[in-house]
Amino acid sequence: MENLKRELKEQIIERLNLEDVNVEDIADDMPLFGGGLGLDSIDALELIVLLENDYGIELTNPEEGKEIFQTVNSMSDFISRNRK
Amino acid sequence: MITYIGSENIISPLGNSAEENFTHVSNGKSGIELFKNVGVGKEDLYLSKIKSLEVDHKFDYLLSNCLDSIINASSDNIINSEDTIVIISTTKGDIQENLATPIQASVDKLQQDYNLAHTPLVISNACISGVLAMNTANNFIQANSYKHAFVIGADAISSFVLYGFQSLYAVSDEPCQPFDKERKGITLGEGAAGVLMSSDPTVFKKESFEFVEGTSSNDANHISGPSRTGEGLYRTVNKTMELGGVKTSEVDFISAHGTGTLFNDEMESIAFDRLEMNAIPLNSLKGYFGHTLGAAGLIESAISMQSMRNNTVVKSLGYANDGTSGGINILTENIEKELTTFLKTASGFGGCNASAIIRKVK
Amino acid sequence: MSYISSYCHISSTIYSVNGQVANTFESGTLDEIISELYTSLDIKYSKFHKMDQLSKIGFIGTELIKRDFPAIDNYGENDIAVLFANRRSSATTDINFLDSYQDGGIPSPSLFVYTLPNIVIGEISIRNKWFGENMFTISNHFDANYFANYCDILLQKSSEAALCGWVNVDDNKIEAFFFFITKKDIKQLNLQLNSEKLTEIYRAI
Repeated sequence: MENLKRELKEQIIERLNLEDVNVEDIADDMPLFGGGLGLDSIDALELIVLLENDYGIELTNPEEGKEIFQTVNSMSDFISRNRK
Repeated sequence: MITYIGSENIISPLGNSAEENFTHVSNGKSGIELFKNVGVGKEDLYLSKIKSLEVDHKFDYLLSNCLDSIINASSDNIINSEDTIVIISTTKGDIQENLATPIQASVDKLQQDYNLAHTPLVISNACISGVLAMNTANNFIQANSYKHAFVIGADAISSFVLYGFQSLYAVSDEPCQPFDKERKGITLGEGAAGVLMSSDPTVFKKESFEFVEGTSSNDANHISGPSRTGEGLYRTVNKTMELGGVKTSEVDFISAHGTGTLFNDEMESIAFDRLEMNAIPLNSLKGYFGHTLGAAGLIESAISMQSMRNNTVVKSLGYANDGTSGGINILTENIEKELTTFLKTASGFGGCNASAIIRKVK
Repeated sequence: MSYISSYCHISSTIYSVNGQVANTFESGTLDEIISELYTSLDIKYSKFHKMDQLSKIGFIGTELIKRDFPAIDNYGENDIAVLFANRRSSATTDINFLDSYQDGGIPSPSLFVYTLPNIVIGEISIRNKWFGENMFTISNHFDANYFANYCDILLQKSSEAALCGWVNVDDNKIEAFFFFITKKDIKQLNLQLNSEKLTEIYRAI
């Protein structure tokens, strides 16, 4: 699980071009949207692509992303439950 | 000095002239149909696609056919005049068939084919391109840079753009329903439309209108999400009304942008509410033509000019129940009444907004 | 009558402000040059890293003009028109977006939003809270006649100033030229706006 979290942080930084951010800057329970990391609506859609590309998990409704992408914790939980 | 506007033409699934298009639209007919396996995941999707258009370089075809119609509706030879500019509005041009130079190759060809005196001005400013092209023509004419402007907007459906909107989850799985409670996104469309604008009213074979004023404004908020306060739209409409010396009470109807996405339509309703334009009859024409991007502003202006010729404002097809918070007067039925003035608006990615006012010549 | 109050050039080897060379680049990739330019500006703007190359160069050019002409802050939020142009629209990003979905891939939403050339104007408007007129045009060559004429037209209407950019980032080359047009010759560069003068300074570097 810890490996998955670290891998996720690296993937988030790379895919969303967060040049100013390091893996250490993202706490597992830090809100990714709103305050926290300050991601926006396009980032959320790009995270859906990340889930599909890298973990083979397809979301049918982008609204599902709201819960899943709250924090690195919630993302890693979801991935470990659903990855193929 | 007055800028006159007329000789309008539309090429869409509903026909090849402004008259034919208006007849279908006023009868509630839409160009939107279901197409098999067209989506990025081979989904069936609704499109407003010109099925008879089985040519290479659809964009080139749309441009030249639209230009031909305007030429035929206007005085001979002004297309080649030193006093004439051609203004082209498009977002992605020939992207489906020419990824490297999707716009410029087509425009160079047009200039040669028609032996134009000046290089056409190409405006590519997302979904406000068409309204911006008319505004620019008006500015040139008012400043005496040119006497006449042929303004054409065209965009063809491409998998590039369709997949892009799908990636944003912005494509509706039903025909688009602008401003409706159940709206789910856009329906992509294709087509072309054009007008002639001139300082000389005698160049138009039919009666022309007055292009009163047009401006643009940026939201300064987000590149793909509309402003929550309708900021840019509010500002451009205010500026256009003020510079044009037009009062809200004089506007008979509004041809809004109304794409059918949740956030865009909500933004527009907020802007019109702030402008105190709640009571003015309003439509979106996307339910008939889909979203035709660079052609949209011109298609919708041409239909609105036809509305004025026929004294009929058409209903906002796809709208049934109020789904925005601004409290605006979206038409569920056509209205027949004497019309003199309309407001055209458009909003697009990059936070851009534009507006224009056209009225009958007094 | 309008005046050129500040201008700058950015190429793949050099950048200059008002005709004075400000820095030269060791040969590098476009991304390295853009990163070097951004670092030299010494600002923190996290959105910058999400932009495509066209928007990044437009953003940097605007920052260089603002530094050279700080009085730009005195304009009202509706006063500044932004007129940009280039040869090939968003060609580089178009290809990147196409690559994202070809061969069965998933189309990238963050690339798609940059497949419109006017997004650079949006980025600059957001950064500076400018609500003025916008227009992006496409032409084969730098059209000095259009810029000179249309700036004059807008400044006689409702705009007080215009920020213009000719921004090309294609085939691993940068060719960009930015200029700021005002109603008065505030900085006394003695550059009255007309197409000959504009052509002259465009070619000067």
